[in-house]
Amino acid sequence: MNIYVINGPNINLLGTREPEIYGRDTLESIATTCIEKASKAGHKVDFMQSNYEGEIVEWIQDAIIQKVDVIIINAAAYTHTSIAIHDALKSYSGYKVELHISNPHLRETFRHISFISSAVNAVVAGLGPDGYGHVIDLLPDLPIKVN
Amino acid sequence: MSRSKLLIINGPGLSDLSVENEIAYDGLSLSSIEQKCIETSERFDLDVDFRQNDNVSELLSALIIDINKFDAFIINPAGSSKSSSIDYEAFSKALNKITNQSKPVVEVRIENIFKQDDTKPLNASDSGVGLISGLGDQGYILAIESINQKIVSNR
Repeated sequence: MNIYVINGPNINLLGTREPEIYGRDTLESIATTCIEKASKAGHKVDFMQSNYEGEIVEWIQDAIIQKVDVIIINAAAYTHTSIAIHDALKSYSGYKVELHISNPHLRETFRHISFISSAVNAVVAGLGPDGYGHVIDLLPDLPIKVN
Repeated sequence: MSRSKLLIINGPGLSDLSVENEIAYDGLSLSSIEQKCIETSERFDLDVDFRQNDNVSELLSALIIDINKFDAFIINPAGSSKSSSIDYEAFSKALNKITNQSKPVVEVRIENIFKQDDTKPLNASDSGVGLISGLGDQGYILAIESINQKIVSNR
């Protein structure tokens, strides 16, 4: 399986930004965990982060062209604002999971709307930084059509 | 070390996952989900109590009484128009009681509720309450793995 893990704005600050909400793991350590877990299971992970909405849209378009099997996306704050990311995800026909470290529905009201949730197969939130690795572990048991 | 105890509660509509039900899922039955949960919990040395009740107030009053007896919780509130709809306030109270004791809790929904207009996730005061929506029966497995990790790292 080819897997894109796409992260949105401010996730590069993980480990230092509000650790009581997001934990002390850095993005680098999460990326290492994902890549190691995937390669043990014979999968390939491309782990990405951008603070720019358009770059995220282009990565999703790239996933369409490259026939990537799975997108795991933590669009962070763009979750609540980006119709462009919603549209790009709609165009991607592979398996897609929206992931959040904390549970946005239990935070400020402006985080309760997600433009991503209705465009994905599944939503996973509030499992902390370990959520990424848990989702990668689960992929072989999900109904994913592998290209 | 004594084994940690996990309580899994399933709300109205989940007793019957057949196609005649409004909540229909491909090839899933509550007993097959229960079996998978038991196997996964055993793998992690967790004791599991798997419950379903179409009567939400019975389900929740039993949960409130049992919060002290369990170390972690998975809640699928389900609900369908055939039975009562979700009593969000009652579920919130139960969730807050659990998080006040710093115990892990995950809301699991079999289908992606965000593709339906009339369903929203549960509310609670702690943003560490997990939410898994749309992974089918594997949502329960993911929840158990996450809960186990939290229990292990809290030891």
